[in-house]
Amino acid sequence: MGIYTGVVYPLVLVVCAVLAIVGLATLAWPRLHRALKLITPAAFVAAGVQAVTVVALLLTGIDADMILALGYLIASVALLALLGIGRLGTPEAAAGDPDPNRPVLSPLQIARVDAAAAAIVAIALAVVSWRVYVILETAA
Amino acid sequence: MNPVARISLIVAYAVLALAALGRSSYQISTKLSEAPVPYLVSGVSALLYLVIAIALWRRWAGVALVGTAIELAGVLVVGTLGYVEPSWWADETVWTGYGSAYGWVPLLLPLAALILLVRERRARAARAVASSTAPSAATTGDAR
Repeated sequence: MGIYTGVVYPLVLVVCAVLAIVGLATLAWPRLHRALKLITPAAFVAAGVQAVTVVALLLTGIDADMILALGYLIASVALLALLGIGRLGTPEAAAGDPDPNRPVLSPLQIARVDAAAAAIVAIALAVVSWRVYVILETAA
Repeated sequence: MNPVARISLIVAYAVLALAALGRSSYQISTKLSEAPVPYLVSGVSALLYLVIAIALWRRWAGVALVGTAIELAGVLVVGTLGYVEPSWWADETVWTGYGSAYGWVPLLLPLAALILLVRERRARAARAVASSTAPSAATTGDAR
């Protein structure tokens, strides 16, 4: 439990904060898209480490509400799919879609879409992680 | 609609749908008898968020417009009833306190979506009028 509260949970919050800040900054200055692309894998790693740690805690007998904790964990992983969603607007992605109305985004628009998604996902991931923390803290 | 705004709306609605679906499915499956109205309202809101996200993605403008209008009405009605008749609500819903538990996103999001959808609808109507008058003007010009 100490590793989770002392290392993993703060790590997730820091990654969320950085992701939100860089996401909002990229909305204003799309040239920061490259930095956002570098931070996105860190969000995957943080959410993954959190998932593994919480599952390990639940399996080792902590008396938490398993359904709720696992539900929030699944949500935290599902949120990651929205990171970098601008890739769906690239010409290559649109070319493979039979829908003729599918929008093809310019690099500037892709940067802005990724930035908005990063800010939204960062806030949602932080809230979900906080809920998992509360569940585990109450049970400990 | 600006594609950046549209995709941002889709992402926001997808996140809300995920949150509301998780919450309501847990509440409905484990303790529906404790507070049936709030939990069913949360379930309905979750389905609505999902429908709006899909409608925005598939460009079903009419469905998205009706969905966001229902959503806004729901937030306002449930939010107001929560203050006027608190005894009716044994537990909180997604729309309680005008969505305060979700940072008032359930109130702000349909407003933003409605503004964008209505603006797009007007722009489309203006384009349709312009395209229907252009050929007749050309015809008039030919006649001279």
